[in-house]
Amino acid sequence: MKLKRLLALLMVFGVIAAACGGSDDDSASEETDTTAAAAEESSDDDAMEEEDDAMEDDSPEPAAEIATDFGVTEDEIRVGINADLSGPFAALVSEIVESQVVYWEMVNEAGGIAGRNVVPVILDSGYATDKGIENYEELAQESEEGVLMISENTGSPITAAIAEDANDDNILVIPLSWASLWPAEENSAILGKQTTYCAESMNGVEWLKNKVEGDGKEAKLAIISRPGEYGEDGHVGAQLAAEALGIEIVYNGKGEVAGDDRTAVISQLVESGATMVWTTVTPGELADVFGQAVSQGFEADWSGNGPSFSYPALLPTDLAPAFDQYYWQSGYNTVWNGNDSPGMQQLVSEMTARRPDAVLSDSYITGWIEGIMVQTILEQAAAAGDMTREGVVAAAQDVTVDFMGLAPNQAFFGEYNDILVRESYIFDIDATAFDLQPLSAGTGSSGLIPIEEGYVGSALASYVFDGPCI
Amino acid sequence: MSFGRPLLRTSYEADAAILPTWFQKGSAIVALLGVTLMALGFGPLEAIPKFLLGNTWINPVTITVVFAIAALGINILVGVTGQVSLGHAFFMGTGAYTAVMLGGNVGEEESWKACVPFHDNMGLLAEQGECGLGLPIWIWLPASGVVAAAIGVLVSPAAVKVRGLYLAIVTVGLVFIGLHLGRMLPEWAGDFESGRKWPKLDLRLWKEETPLVEMTEDGKWFGLIHLSEEQKQFFFLFSIMLLMLWFAKNLVRSRTGRALQAIRDRDVAAEVMGVPEFKYKRIGFAISSAYAGIAGALFASLNGRVSPVDFGLLLSVDFIAILLIGGAGTIAGTMLGTVFVELLPEVVEKFTAWMATKLDAGGPVGLISNFLLTEGGEGDFGPISIATVAPGWPMSTFQWNFVIYGVLIVVFLIFEPLGLFGVWLKVRNYWKGWPFSY
Amino acid sequence: MIIFWQTLAKAIALGSIYAIMGLSFVIIFKGTQVLNFAAGALSMAGALFMSILVVDRGFPFLPFTNPLAPADGETAGLALWIVHLVIVLMIAALMGLVIERVAIRPMVGQPLFAMAVITLGLEIAIRPFNLDATAISGRSIGVPWGTETWEIGGAIFPKSYLAAVVAAAIAFVAVFFFYRSRFGVAMRAVAFDQEAAMAQGINVGRVFAIAWALGAALAVLGAIFFAMSPWPPAGTVSLEIHPIWVFRVLPVIILGGLDSVAGAVAGGLIIAIFEIFAGQYLSQWTSILGPGYSTIVPYLVMLVVLLVRPYGLFGTEEIRRV
Repeated sequence: MKLKRLLALLMVFGVIAAACGGSDDDSASEETDTTAAAAEESSDDDAMEEEDDAMEDDSPEPAAEIATDFGVTEDEIRVGINADLSGPFAALVSEIVESQVVYWEMVNEAGGIAGRNVVPVILDSGYATDKGIENYEELAQESEEGVLMISENTGSPITAAIAEDANDDNILVIPLSWASLWPAEENSAILGKQTTYCAESMNGVEWLKNKVEGDGKEAKLAIISRPGEYGEDGHVGAQLAAEALGIEIVYNGKGEVAGDDRTAVISQLVESGATMVWTTVTPGELADVFGQAVSQGFEADWSGNGPSFSYPALLPTDLAPAFDQYYWQSGYNTVWNGNDSPGMQQLVSEMTARRPDAVLSDSYITGWIEGIMVQTILEQAAAAGDMTREGVVAAAQDVTVDFMGLAPNQAFFGEYNDILVRESYIFDIDATAFDLQPLSAGTGSSGLIPIEEGYVGSALASYVFDGPCI
Repeated sequence: MSFGRPLLRTSYEADAAILPTWFQKGSAIVALLGVTLMALGFGPLEAIPKFLLGNTWINPVTITVVFAIAALGINILVGVTGQVSLGHAFFMGTGAYTAVMLGGNVGEEESWKACVPFHDNMGLLAEQGECGLGLPIWIWLPASGVVAAAIGVLVSPAAVKVRGLYLAIVTVGLVFIGLHLGRMLPEWAGDFESGRKWPKLDLRLWKEETPLVEMTEDGKWFGLIHLSEEQKQFFFLFSIMLLMLWFAKNLVRSRTGRALQAIRDRDVAAEVMGVPEFKYKRIGFAISSAYAGIAGALFASLNGRVSPVDFGLLLSVDFIAILLIGGAGTIAGTMLGTVFVELLPEVVEKFTAWMATKLDAGGPVGLISNFLLTEGGEGDFGPISIATVAPGWPMSTFQWNFVIYGVLIVVFLIFEPLGLFGVWLKVRNYWKGWPFSY
Repeated sequence: MIIFWQTLAKAIALGSIYAIMGLSFVIIFKGTQVLNFAAGALSMAGALFMSILVVDRGFPFLPFTNPLAPADGETAGLALWIVHLVIVLMIAALMGLVIERVAIRPMVGQPLFAMAVITLGLEIAIRPFNLDATAISGRSIGVPWGTETWEIGGAIFPKSYLAAVVAAAIAFVAVFFFYRSRFGVAMRAVAFDQEAAMAQGINVGRVFAIAWALGAALAVLGAIFFAMSPWPPAGTVSLEIHPIWVFRVLPVIILGGLDSVAGAVAGGLIIAIFEIFAGQYLSQWTSILGPGYSTIVPYLVMLVVLLVRPYGLFGTEEIRRV
């Protein structure tokens, strides 16, 4: 009896194994079919892709001439994404990753890079540092399962945790973090994009000062920040600007937005009599401090580093009218349909065509920017005939990336003070315009209305950095 | 060596032996040999972890070894002494920070001076995260255990007085106080979120350049055998774990161990028998904390970088889950539980990734994959998302892992209160009586 | 002086919410001897239902639209909002019943700790579904009074403060009368000795069910009032705050005593007063106390009280017979 059962079981396993084995071949052939189909499709697409084709023609075609090590095969380039898809920034980051995936769909249909398709390898860190390190090790392994470079690494903490390893392993990493550490020379493999928290704060404080003084009030600054690299970086920038512009700091809440009860910060802020507030916090913390301060009758103009405010988290709340009235958002690039640049047209048309059901989001721009960076660098590496990990890091030294109007163009290596991007963006919040529609609708807004694009304050323009602010 | 009936002991020595039966002795040897061969990359044996955990399987397995040490500690407190604590993460943190203070990077000056917060004119910590004495592992590892034990004794006045659930909640408070200390002392803990660097695992006699036993690079070990960095770390940590295991096993057989068990079974009765309750509770607390401290130090060193938020409540809950799923009060159960709780999420993740490759495969596997997974397209259903869609239904494997974890705790408690060890007992008893049912 | 009154009002309002949450713990502990660690996930799920009903005009789990909901773009009036609140509390009670039947009933007679850990397992298992339902990090619960405030003699009081106090008062009175009712007496008998109660003809299973239904409803009530404008997530159910704030209520029930209804209310107020006043009046010493020090004030108060009274201020001391 028992023996029979065992035999039956074995047979079932055999059948399954056979099915797996047989089907493997099927899927492989199907894959090649789809790529072929994709290649055909690409011929009858819009102007943007023709441009990509043109770029494609410039790069050396025969694959054999390009040196490779890990993550690159005859027809594939594996690019790693170590993203927070289930942690506190999941909503934001999943949209960024989605738009980067769309970017690769577009590039692959246009023939890929050096004749190879770009395959994103996406791992979820949940914003936990240990999981992030584990993911990095998986992506960085020196085998056919490793990747060529990491096109997105969510968060300052995880980037700080892997930075040294990445520099040693020669794996190029684009962090989703604007800490002022990344442009520094010792971080040869970390590609800080756009301006830094520190520089952004200097711009933001100067803009706020002009706003407050334009309204006929005296500029008295309160700075509040959370503990950690992000908080400190933004905080230092605000202090530098205050020093340079001679603004009185009436409350200096450095690293004090911590824990779950923030009564202490709020009471000191309200008592300080500040007329302008600079925040380097998270949206949840901002809602708490801002909401309670406003409810106690505290009236000032608020702004803060980009990650302090989040329209999907804060504009559906009861505080939306207060944010509309008192808060100005600062950022590193433009917003969805924020301008008419070729980059924006490409992004909007591609996203709308490929993800008609996706909801409107400003985060798509960040993903697109990462895509543009990676493509430019990899094409440079291919042109130099060296698509090894080391070759990619070397290629990043030579490029100046053209973001086609989505963000200021940027080179990544050189003297800290020379390569630092100084432009930031400032937005008015319009709670009544806030309306998140599917892309196919073609309408809607994130509620952020650009006031200043590529703003550089006088304090930042003349400030000479000899290294990171922290 | 007796080949007689399993529970028939003919001498006191046999009864008190660490591995009383030939079967246990044999399986211990087989397990040790198996693990060693597996870690050395012996093909047929390595096939199993490779299949379940992928090529980088040794990383999660090494972490599991470290967690096993901490789990042995919580077993002494909860399983043997019967005192429920959710504060294990706090003691792990204590150990970790002791390790980094003693063994961490030496700042500008080679002294404690580097640890005094020095603010520059911007109000910034100048030497942040650079404070440590650079001492070798044979000092900082035992010290992390000793300091954690000392702190355990320090808080024990509050802990020994309260009972049952009150104790559980007091220890929750301990974890939150620990997090606050982490925020208050950046010169110790480094950045609150990204933490600071930990001393790397290698054995030095003092502060000499070349370590006696290095574990940070691939290469020959003792001039004998070529091992990768990960393999070296694994063997080192595994031998520490065996040492701790041996100590824990011995503790339970000692006078102290019997006193602790008496308190677990009935504290009043224990006191009547002449076992001073508070004293032994304190001892249990201290030993458990020492285990946690050592595990915390190793965990942080292995990761290379840890932040205060990593020693949060969820870490404590992990250990309670390990005990309950494995079977509280038994060493074998603790080991089983650790392996299960720590490696299951990895297995689920790898399995999902494997299924994702079979989506278009057809056949039964393809059908099941299609049923469970969804890429987020039109009409594609299934509870597990493999696409990069925003959080929302369907959920990612990361989220499903939490659900599975929670449900497992509930299911084990309801159906198998003795945990995996209980399952093993049932299997053993079945075969003991075979072919009769009892 | 204005600041003092504002601080006091804030402390009392927060204390009221702690008290509601504390009552939830006490009722469940009294009825079934379980410390409900699942309260965080459970209460957040309830608050999300409120958001789904009132703001999304939908219905949890079901693809129906909510016929009672206010029209698109309008917030519910007070009466309509309260109707929805009652519906949500009923759904919450149902969830409590299900949890009791599935996870708690099979565990009768097991050690207290095992039962508490079961709820911890539930907490971990339910939490991802909450994350899933929020999708973005904040969700409004459509409070009719929003962020409105009253101004009395220069001091500003959010309307939500009064709402929280009223809700706590109603909850306390309801629990008080429940205690005097047949079921309440039965529950107290069960709390004293399950077997003896059963021998007296009390349906212990029903007492368990009622305790969980009532406890779950109270937990959700607390969470909804905690999701109003002046509190941390600022008028939203928030992923950052709601899953963990239940751990801030633990000192409350320890201080009052795990099985004391009056203790829950007193404990809530005491803890909140310490927390808020410490935050307000010790703020110039932040550099010594550390940023966010007021968060751990409840735990410190709890530790001190336990050193003096190991069963809390009002808890029943376990009589240990030899």
